[in-house]
Formats: sequence, C-alpha cells, structure tokens
Amino acid sequence: MMDRRSFLKATAASGAVLGAGGVAAPALSQGAARTLRFVPQANLANFDPIWGTQYVVRNAAAMVWDTLYGVDDKLDPQPQMVEGETVSQDGLTWTFRLREGLRFHDGEPVLAKDVVASITRWMPRDPMGQMVRAIQQELVAVDDRSFRWVLRRPYPKLKYALGKTNTPICFIMPERIARTDPFTQITDYVGSGPLSFVRNEWVPGAKAVFQKFDRYVPRQGAASWLAGGKHVSVDRVEWVVMPDAATAAAALQNGEVDWWENPISDLIPLMRRNRNIAVDIADPLGNIGSFRMNHLHAPFNSQKVRQAILMAMSQEDYMRALVGNEDALWKPLPGFFTPGTPAYTEAGGDILKGPRNLDAAKRMLTEGGYSGQPVTCIVAQDQPITKAQGDVTADLLRRLGMNVDFVATDWGTTGQRRAMKNPPGQGGWSMFHTWHAGADCVNPAAYNAVRANGDGAWFGWPNIPSVEAGVTEWFDAPNPDAEKIAMDKINREAIEHVVYAPTGFFLGYTAWRRNVSGIQKGPLPFFWGVTKS
Amino acid sequence: MFAYTVRRVLATIPVMAIVALFVFSLLYLAPGDPAAVIAGDQATPQDVERIRASLGLDRPYLVRFGEWAFRIIQGDLGVSIFTNLPVTTMIAQRIEPTLSLMVITLCLAVCIAIPMGVIAAWKQGTIIDRAVMGFAVLGFSVPVFVVGYVLAYVFALELDWLPVQGYTPFARGFWPWLENLILPAIALGGVYIALIARITRATMLEVLQQDYIRTARAKGVGQKGVLFLHALKNAAVPIVTVIGIGIALLIGGAVVTESVFAIPGLGRLTVDAILRRDYPVIQGVVLLFSFVYVLVNLVIDLAYTLFDPRIRY
Repeated sequence: MMDRRSFLKATAASGAVLGAGGVAAPALSQGAARTLRFVPQANLANFDPIWGTQYVVRNAAAMVWDTLYGVDDKLDPQPQMVEGETVSQDGLTWTFRLREGLRFHDGEPVLAKDVVASITRWMPRDPMGQMVRAIQQELVAVDDRSFRWVLRRPYPKLKYALGKTNTPICFIMPERIARTDPFTQITDYVGSGPLSFVRNEWVPGAKAVFQKFDRYVPRQGAASWLAGGKHVSVDRVEWVVMPDAATAAAALQNGEVDWWENPISDLIPLMRRNRNIAVDIADPLGNIGSFRMNHLHAPFNSQKVRQAILMAMSQEDYMRALVGNEDALWKPLPGFFTPGTPAYTEAGGDILKGPRNLDAAKRMLTEGGYSGQPVTCIVAQDQPITKAQGDVTADLLRRLGMNVDFVATDWGTTGQRRAMKNPPGQGGWSMFHTWHAGADCVNPAAYNAVRANGDGAWFGWPNIPSVEAGVTEWFDAPNPDAEKIAMDKINREAIEHVVYAPTGFFLGYTAWRRNVSGIQKGPLPFFWGVTKS
Repeated sequence: MFAYTVRRVLATIPVMAIVALFVFSLLYLAPGDPAAVIAGDQATPQDVERIRASLGLDRPYLVRFGEWAFRIIQGDLGVSIFTNLPVTTMIAQRIEPTLSLMVITLCLAVCIAIPMGVIAAWKQGTIIDRAVMGFAVLGFSVPVFVVGYVLAYVFALELDWLPVQGYTPFARGFWPWLENLILPAIALGGVYIALIARITRATMLEVLQQDYIRTARAKGVGQKGVLFLHALKNAAVPIVTVIGIGIALLIGGAVVTESVFAIPGLGRLTVDAILRRDYPVIQGVVLLFSFVYVLVNLVIDLAYTLFDPRIRY
C-alpha cells in the first residue's frame, strides 16, 4: 500500500519524468523493491571478521565472504565452497576440492592458495582453529582447486570448525588479503560471497551497503542457514544503523525500513498492532544470561561460596527482568548448554531447580568462609541485558547478607576491568554480567565461557581439570552417543564447581514489513532467500 | 580591528594546545579498553593483549602523546582504531548533517524567538506575555528526546507528512534535505527558542524604560520603529551573546537529537567513539568542537561592533 508521502513523491516524480519526456515512473517502485533496508543490532564499526569478532561484523561478513562448509538448521556442516572431501583411513589426511566457477568480487577465480591463506589467518583467532593448528602437520595447496590438510592426530570436528556460525567464522578471502596478520585489520574487502561490500557508501555508525554479486555461483537446493543455495533476490541490502529503538520502531511502521533485526520486547505489542508488520522469534537458539565470578580471589575462590550463590539465585527473577511477562521468551536453564539442541543436558543441574533456599545458602556462605568482605560487582549500564541482570544480582547478594560494592559503569570499562587479575580492592573485580548467543553454546567447540583451564580460560579463570577432561572427551568423541556422555560430564562438573552462574535462557524477536518474505530463523540474519515485493 | 582579529586567531593556538593536552591525558587516564571491544566477547585475555599491543596501546604515555602531538601539528588527526579510516575522513562524512541541523535550528530559533521576546516585552503583563513565558518554561523543561518522539509520532507516523529518521545530503535536492531536518530542528530548537525569547524579553523591557525610547516616541516614531529600530538594536548585544553561548548548547543537544532521528552527524560519531574508546576519533572531534567554539566566540565579539558603535577593538 502506498503511503501519503510516497504518493506525493511518486506524483512529483511522474510529473518530472513526463515533463522530461521519459516513462520511468514504474522504475521508482521497482528500484525500491530491489533494495532491502535493514536495521542491524549494532553499528558496523569495522569490517574484518577475523580481527574483530563482534557478532555484527560476522553478520555482515557472512554476506560478503563465503565459507568452505556451512552449518544448516540441524547444526550439521554441509559443503559450501567445497565440492567434496576425502579423508584417509587413519583420519589424519584430509583432501578438499573446491567447486568449479567460484570467483572473488574482483573477478579473480578462488584458488586453493587463497583458501590455505584464509584458514591460516583464521586459526589463531578461533578456539577450534587453535586446536587444529596445535595438531597440524601440513596445510598446502595441491593444485588450483585442491588442498591438503595433514594432522598429527584425528580431529573429527574439522568440518564443523570450518562451517560453524560462531565468531570468528572461517571466511575465504583472496590470498593477498588473507596474508594480513590476524591481529591487524584488513583494508581490502574483496569477498567471495553472494553480495559485495560497497565501500564508498560505508559511513561507519550510520550506513553500510551491500550489492548483489552477479557472478556468484550458488549451490543447488534450498538455503538453510550457512548451507545450501545462497540465492539473493534483491539488488542491494542497505544497513541503516539506528541507535534508538523507538526510532527504529517508528521507521519500520512508516515503511522507511523493511526489517529490524532485534526489536526490544517493550515495543513488540506496538508492532503487533500494525497489520503491515510481522513479528517472530529471531533465533530459536536464543541467548544464555550469565554472571561470572572471579575464581582467583575471595570470596569466590571458595567453591562453597559459589555454590551458595547458585543455591539462592532465582533464574525467573533474572528472566523477568530481561523479557518482562512474556513467558514464551524464556526458560529456566539448569546447565550451560542451549536448550532444544541435540546435546542439551541438565546433568548435575539440581541446585538450580526448585524453590530457592536463602537460609541454606547463607549457611553455605559461612561454611565457605565468607566473612563480610566487599563483593565488587561490575555492571555495565549501557547494555540493557547486563544492567537488568546486575540489578537482580545486587539485590540477591544483599538478601544473602553480602557486602556489595556495586560498580555501575559502561561496557567499554567492563571489557577492560574484567581482564584484570588484581584483587578486587586493587582494580580487580569479584563478578561481572554478560550473556552468550545460544549458537555459541550448543557444544564446547567454541564455547570459551564454559572452559576451565585456568589462565587460558575466559575471565574469572576457573581451573577445574574435570571440566577440561570432559571437553577433551567431547572433541575425541567418535559418535553422537559419546558426545552426549562427554557433555553430561562437562555440565555436571561445571555446575558442581560453578564455572559461572547461568541466569536463564531467553529469546529475542525480529520484525519485518509484510512485503518482505523468506526470512529464516537463525543465529544471524540470512539475506539469501529474502524477497521484497 | 584587523589586528585584533589576527591576535584572537593566534590566541586560539595555545588554547587548542591546552585542550589537546587535556583531552589526551583525560582519555589516557579514563578506564576502558578498545582492544577488549575489538576482540569481542569470546576472545581470550591473550587475544585482547595482542590486539592492544598491535594498536600500540601498551606503550608509555609520553611516547603516545609525543607521536600524537607531532601528527596533530602536521594536521593529521590519525586513523580510527575501529574503522581504520582517517579521522578527517570520518569527520568529513559527518560534518554536513550536523552543520545542516545546527544552521536550520539556529535560523528557526532566531526567527521565532526574537519576535516572541519583543512581542512579550511590548505586551508585558498581558496574556500574550504570559503565553510566551509559558512556552519558554515548557521549552526549558521538556527534554529534547521527548519533544522528538512526540513530533515523530504526530508528523511522521500519524500524519505521514515527514520522515521519521535519516538524512539526505543537500546535493540530492533542497526538499529531500530539508524534510529530514524539520522535525529534528524543531525538537532541538525548543530549548534554544526559550532561552533567546526570555533574554530578548528581559533585555527589551530594560531598554524600553530608557530615556531615548521616550524621546523617540515623543518625536512621533511608530511602535514598530521604536521596537525594532531603536529598542532591539540596543538590546542586541546580550541577545547575540546568548546566541553564541547557545551554539555550545546546540553541540550538546545535537548528540541526543541525532540519536533520536538517526542522523549520521558528529554528535553520534562522538558518542559511538566514546563508548568504544576510539581515542583518535574522540580526540579529533573534541579538538574540532573546541576550535568551533573558540571561533564562534570570536565572531560574536566582532559582531558587537555592528550593534554598539562604542565598542572598538
């Protein structure tokens, strides 16, 4: 339906065109239909998916660079740029062959040497890549379309590593770009994917434009997440950065944008009332809320004190603070892995279930040696998710009789302070809040937050050998049953020793104009298969 | 006056140097780490450390300041840590929307506020005066973002007369450029209109009591002549001063307005840079704002001579 302003504009444009002797008025609406205007979750401040591993960079990069494999909505890696692979009987030598006709956006063919350089740059930045690099004997191009990867011991999850959605994704870039140090930002954005990046229209903080790459050769078949035929139906995708949620909602209602990646739940009722707008769950894998305790310093260097917190915390309180009264948007999570995925487990999760017991938790605090020392609780106020969780935690700790030193700050400062290992009174911290994309938590492959390898672990530095043993067993697991056993072990040990405190599982929405169709639910916005009428 | 202008322009150099030192030191001392932001939430502490080293953020204060100051002297504001684009390029991309917003707001405010203030003074004590002052109180009291949301709701969503958000460069046509700026300019201009209207009224009331106004009336000058030729000209100095001060308010207000109306201007660039700790961009933008502020003050000082011939530099 044409709105008043569009009608006025179209009338004026028609008049102008007729006056000039032209007949291009229909082209105006056709042009609009060929451009998809999208409001991303955040500003695209840089465009190197290996150097900067923020989700927004990954989401944009997935349009511009293709991958060797891509996971589908069943979380299975499917061939994408590769035609196929052969694996030696001992599982040590993998030989891959690229599909025919693959081209970069500068018209050059994608060659095996480009792939080798891209993998080499990706490995040091990715947890799975680092594991493969540690057992790698050789990675070489055999000919223009084939490359060989020789390992010192089998790594059954290799295809998953090359096709996963977790950041950083192993994107394939031209060799000259991929030779850049992985800790230095690239400046050339020639891609291999279905859309190219229009660099001269990029205004960081405001706009990023992607254009259909006509020479891209999609696979046969339907697209499913990063797998299948990536057929792009629009000519341009324009990312319009909007820092204000109310403005984004108004722009979507007004038809100034077509798709809003992550509307806040407060505005959902408003959009549901608009018959031109569709609203649905964005990603069935959702998010896991968390707060991490510092295992290096008192009081949370005591396992009993950490357990006391788990015993007292109510995940419902956290989730209601995040999503309000929409029960469909959250689930309790007595564990660390994403609900609804094949390896989901609640093993050992009893402490997080049932009525909360503050008295028992208080006794446990005393047994754990807590004697009133300040708990430095870092809460980023500029992130709604961390702020809401932080407020609930502060209240919980006070009810437990703990001495809370509530540090209200911003995310940038949290990022710096959480890396400090000093005692809390000397610039360090006791706890901070964050959340993890459910797609990152389906298994231990790229799930840094559940690792417990001391200095090598994520912030909080838990050192729990039994958790690490479970992780090793999962990587070595020859089949899904063995994987499940390993996951149960990780979950049980991680809860017993409280690697971190899961605050619950929550989902988010996405919203789009009804003249847009083909939007897939998934961990990132997929632009292939999306059409606009 | 030429010598005075040159002296004032030269005096901006030490001012800018002090601002530069202050900004750099403040950012050095402020908490926050761009490397942690770049690395993302899944990064290990080792990754963050390596990125920090690659950005040179692990080097001593004096080394970093020396390098930065040397570049600034050459007119090089550096390169953004995040976008890898020159800061000058990023400022150039963003200056037109902010400048447009400020100019439209300023024009709107001056065109509305001065007649309002003059009329309020002329009709002192009447309902018109009270209405003007009531509007001024409202303008001061209601935050810019509230006005912005209300305007967007009424004029964009309900009436569909104007767009909700965005900016169209002037090069693409006058109306597309203007239609994106009308609502933000009204939202941002509210405080400014209130401020100028109040000052104009107060100054006019004072001037209207002067003997020369009575003399002008005695000579048979009409009401309009008295108000606009005799009174307003003599009331102009404080009004012009407030307009100058108001430009600083506009810079601050633009940050909120640009966010509410998704205008890709310098205000949003500044906020984004601060949240990410993009030091070169913050330093560049603050230096630019300081320079503009010093320049505006100079222009205001020079403008005094136009309204009051007794002022000589």
